[in-house]
Amino acid sequence: MIQLVLSLLVGLVLVVSLYFFARRAKPSAEGSAQQLRKAKQTLDSLQFGLLPNDLVERIFAREDLEYVFSSAPPDVQALFLTDRKNIALGWVRRVRAAVLELMRFHRGHARLHARLSFSTEIRLALNFAGLLTACHLLQIAFYLRGPYAAPGMVRTAAAAAGRVCLISENSLAFLSVKGVDPLESGAARHRA
Amino acid sequence: MEILSQVVVYTALLIEVVILVRSIRCKTFAKYSIFYTYLLTVWVTSLFLLIAYTATRSLYALFYWRLQFVTLALGCGVIVEISRHVFARHVSLDRFARWVAIVTFGAIFLVFAIHVAFLPHWKPVANPAELERNLRIAQAIALLTIVFLTGYYRIEIGKNMKGLILGFGVYVGASIISLTLRLFIGIWFSPVWKIIGPFSYTAALLIWMVALWSYEPAPASPPEPMEVDYRRLAGRTRQALGSIQEQLDRTPDR
Repeated sequence: MIQLVLSLLVGLVLVVSLYFFARRAKPSAEGSAQQLRKAKQTLDSLQFGLLPNDLVERIFAREDLEYVFSSAPPDVQALFLTDRKNIALGWVRRVRAAVLELMRFHRGHARLHARLSFSTEIRLALNFAGLLTACHLLQIAFYLRGPYAAPGMVRTAAAAAGRVCLISENSLAFLSVKGVDPLESGAARHRA
Repeated sequence: MEILSQVVVYTALLIEVVILVRSIRCKTFAKYSIFYTYLLTVWVTSLFLLIAYTATRSLYALFYWRLQFVTLALGCGVIVEISRHVFARHVSLDRFARWVAIVTFGAIFLVFAIHVAFLPHWKPVANPAELERNLRIAQAIALLTIVFLTGYYRIEIGKNMKGLILGFGVYVGASIISLTLRLFIGIWFSPVWKIIGPFSYTAALLIWMVALWSYEPAPASPPEPMEVDYRRLAGRTRQALGSIQEQLDRTPDR
């Protein structure tokens, strides 16, 4: 029976993969001006719009919760918690999106190389998968327990988001400027 | 049912001739030599089996599986040719796809050899459908590897290669499903199996005919960056990912 299920599974996976393969859009040229501009815009919005320390602290500030719980009626408290939860969830989604962007940049750039290191590529793929899973777990934690349930998680996620931006910026530097080391050129100043 | 089956077989023979003639007219035979050799072999064997079937059924039964394994072996060559063309500018990916194919085929032949050596009652002649199903699974895994790698690294594929992969994949996928159901359901499934095989192969031929009607060279790739760039890219990505992972791992479960 296991043999039957496995064989049918291989056949079905092949047919489904071919369906998506047939519908696959033509990949854009890596390093094109449009792609670089889009990537830069994504990074800028993350770095300057979402990740600054004061903004993250403001979103997850415990004082706000204490103030609302001490002086507002229950319906306002509930509204406040719902709003903050949505903001926290949106924030983790952005971290996840940034990791996905980084993944896309890395793959897009790595494919230009004829001789890839397969052990490195497999390790990276596993790391990306692990990180995406971790972001997903954070999303679940926020969803189930609210934005104030895990302050440690918030700090960790903020730091992770900053680092993701740095990685994405490094990847972008590879795509756009050769010979310039983004680590030394002040990229770190944008970190959250 | 018998008439429908015959019509499908004759249609397939006709499409094979059209594809082969086009390959000679467009001078693409040499470019995809293994594929066209495979197609020519299938055409010759199909014609032979058709004549044998009409003349004497015992001759057909004697040769069916033997010839099926010849085309099956050539089909594996087609996968190697697909990998070579799709990853023409990606030596590592080509090597990886071949490595996966060799390991899968090796594992299947190893299991086959173990069966022959240690199970005296197990006769390979009595289980040709099972062996074909297993070899089709190996082909499917090799094809899936190629499809996955092209998707993961967003490698652009030309019309010819896309058609070859799609056509071959449709045929291999349908073969695996129908052979598996035939092995498990038994004789009751045989009439359906006799239809699915020629139908899926004709569908594959139609895809190949459209995709290979004219030669389309592989899309031009951008120039390859220096090797040191890749090492830096991979090194930095790994380093940064490692530190993120470390931070997330340290997150207390509160």
